[in-house]
Amino acid sequence: MPSTSSRHELSELLAGLASNDWEVKLGALRHMKNKIIGKKDKKLDFVELGAVAAVAKTLSDALNVNGEGNPDNIKNNIIIQSATVLGSFACGFDAGAQAVINAGAFFNLARLLSIQDAKVVDAGARSLRMVYQSKLAPKYNFLQDENMKRLISLLSNENENVSGLGASIITHSCKTTAEQVALCDAGILEKLTSLLEGSISQRDASLESLATILKNNTEVVLKFVENENGRSLDSVIELAKNKYPRTRLLACICLIVIRNTCPSFLQDIGIKAKLVRTLLELLEDPCVGDEAPFAFSSLIAQKEELQRLALEASAIEKLYCQLQKDPLRPKYIEGILLALADMCSMLESCRDSFLKLEVLDLVTKALSHDSDDVCIAACICIRSVSRSVKNLCAGHFMKDTIVTPLVKLFIKSSTAVQVAALGAISNIVVDFTTRKSAFIQCGGLKELVQLSESMDGSVRSNALWALRNLIFLADNKLKEDVFIELKAPLLASLISDPEPFVQEQAMAFVRNLVDGCIDSIEYAFTDDSLILKAIGKQLQSTAKVEIRIQGMYVLSNVAAGKDSHKEAVMNQLLPQAVSIRDQYFVIRFLQSSDSQLRTATVWALLNVTHPRSDPGAFGRYIKLQEVGIITQIKNMINDPCLEVKLRVRTILEKYASFGGSLL
Amino acid sequence: MPVRVAETSAPSQVSGANSGQTSLQACTLLSVGQAFTGTQNVSSLQKEEAWRVNVRIQGCDLEHGYLCGTMEALNVPMADTPVVTFWEGEIVDMKNYTFYTGKWEATPEDDIKHWTKFPSFAPLSSKVEADGGKSLDLSNCQHIFMRWKEQYFVNVGTDCGLTIAGFYYVCFSCSDGSINGFYYDPNSSPFQKLELISTNEGRSGFSFSSYELQ
Repeated sequence: MPSTSSRHELSELLAGLASNDWEVKLGALRHMKNKIIGKKDKKLDFVELGAVAAVAKTLSDALNVNGEGNPDNIKNNIIIQSATVLGSFACGFDAGAQAVINAGAFFNLARLLSIQDAKVVDAGARSLRMVYQSKLAPKYNFLQDENMKRLISLLSNENENVSGLGASIITHSCKTTAEQVALCDAGILEKLTSLLEGSISQRDASLESLATILKNNTEVVLKFVENENGRSLDSVIELAKNKYPRTRLLACICLIVIRNTCPSFLQDIGIKAKLVRTLLELLEDPCVGDEAPFAFSSLIAQKEELQRLALEASAIEKLYCQLQKDPLRPKYIEGILLALADMCSMLESCRDSFLKLEVLDLVTKALSHDSDDVCIAACICIRSVSRSVKNLCAGHFMKDTIVTPLVKLFIKSSTAVQVAALGAISNIVVDFTTRKSAFIQCGGLKELVQLSESMDGSVRSNALWALRNLIFLADNKLKEDVFIELKAPLLASLISDPEPFVQEQAMAFVRNLVDGCIDSIEYAFTDDSLILKAIGKQLQSTAKVEIRIQGMYVLSNVAAGKDSHKEAVMNQLLPQAVSIRDQYFVIRFLQSSDSQLRTATVWALLNVTHPRSDPGAFGRYIKLQEVGIITQIKNMINDPCLEVKLRVRTILEKYASFGGSLL
Repeated sequence: MPVRVAETSAPSQVSGANSGQTSLQACTLLSVGQAFTGTQNVSSLQKEEAWRVNVRIQGCDLEHGYLCGTMEALNVPMADTPVVTFWEGEIVDMKNYTFYTGKWEATPEDDIKHWTKFPSFAPLSSKVEADGGKSLDLSNCQHIFMRWKEQYFVNVGTDCGLTIAGFYYVCFSCSDGSINGFYYDPNSSPFQKLELISTNEGRSGFSFSSYELQ
């Protein structure tokens, strides 16, 4: 709600703008500019009180009158000041940019570019650049010839704000591969490269645009790298050493885009190390805003070699040092946390360093931050570091200080936060020690079960993923606790969930549930075998190999039980409703091109016929023979997968011992 | 505590390995959650002695030749409770790791002396001795050769009187899931034999659980 002082100030300014005296108008505009410059709160108050519309009207009036006795220089001054005020409202402030667009000022600002007065053109260009910094600015259609010509003309203009505007338009509006190619074909790369030699503003705007056009487009990157025999690329490499921090950052981002798009470029270890060092230095530079950690992340994400180089350059220490500073902007904290997450995503040596420095304490604190984005980044960071089996085995993550705030995030309304928290918890609950019960004690189990019924498929699958990892190698008491909460009907409905990924996790959960102590198998038979029947039904209908694999391991684990368990599995493998050989899913699975599915299937068959001394084993062999499964097994005696071959031979050797033919 | 020479998940860590080699094929009996039981012979000149040993696989990354798990030693004379250690394994796949250890005080001669104790190494022996086994394709071999190095004590302090200074040369049979190994530590009795079989916890068949890290 705007303050009283803002209301009072603005009413005076609006009166000035409404005056017929152009000098008074001009004075009001100058006053307004001084009031709002760099002050977000004041801008917001004025926007809410309708100041932008009044300034837009002043600009429009000035453009549409003929002077009427006022000298041209005053009229132009009003135009310049109106444009400047509108630009100031839009600068770094989406609500302001939106107000400028809503007030219809965008079109009039564009008109200024064709006025025969250099100062008016400059003010118009400067103001439009501010608007184009906002994602709310209208999209520029490059695919229209006229627009492309206008863009080239902007980029060719000697005025740095006009050419900079051209570059800003590209950065804002170029989103598709077709647009990237169109810009490249129109010679924009050359135009932007020439701007690299211009003023600081032109250089920076050009670097940003180049990164936009090159991003994920191999064809355009190849053209850029070959441009002027590599001199364009050399210019960018050189700018990464520039004395201005922002230029260094933008040049680094451009090089990262090139490397991430075409990994064969910029392989030189010197350049990689330089990028790592430069970005780590920029972390500490207040002039580059919040972008440095994000750029660092995009450099090292999914790349072991770069993560190793960054570790050698003390990246974890430096990121940690930044995280310790106070106060920090939420966006910056998010960037640092994501950079730490990427550092710890692949290498155990990085995780060791992270844990040794006790960075985890600060990351855990960030789980309680007001900003959802910071909480998500903290979860991703914990997820990365908890990929360390060595530390999971030592029980280093199942601590109240980590688990409790993560569980609290489960009840946040944002799905993205819930999924991120579930990702971290999924890893932590693998804990190989006896501390799994600590998770239940802090209320985590009830929350997980609740989330497994979420309306959102990704929340359901991640909750099940966590439950599946929780009961991995768990004792029967813990399994019982989980099963009491989850119950057979819910589990059966999750096995038949509309989302395939939920089905897969539900199957994997049951696989772990019926593993271990032989009594665990009984879970599959509760409520009139509800779960086992749901598994059998899903195996008959699903086309997804991952679901089939998990389902076959469920049957295999159940078949590793008593005679009655084996018979129940046989009933699922050979449903009575099926009469034609090829309709048995087990035969289709044995013929699958996926070796993991063939492996899981032969294990189930091996278990139903194991051991040789089991009184029911012979009968089950006969049934398998009658429906053609033994014939199929014989065809697999030289399966390309070693494990399938070995298990098939075991099955057939036992079959032969009953007098069956091996041929 | 010994430190691994290089990153576990880094293919570049291997010297003399053939980077073009494919990884070994997965074997379910050597996957996460699988348990093994048996003995380790710790006899010395003075005394015949064997400890009961249980092993559980906790992590497996064939692509990077990495395996890890826990080893529980029972009836250890100087300990009140079973002693559990966490170990990390290097799988000899000629891509990430070769038959030559190159660390942990093991010379190439020590390596050959230990590997040749396994009958299943015999068909590979000449090639390994000739060129380190660079030309070997182990992807269809029915045995998986590994080194297991204990990294820390899980449930007791380092003052428990036991040492984890050495490491095991290990041979796993894909066929029946049995594991044979020899402990190597220049300061301990030589060739302490580890013999384990795949266990199925009283079940009539084999059961397989799984977890997946995000």
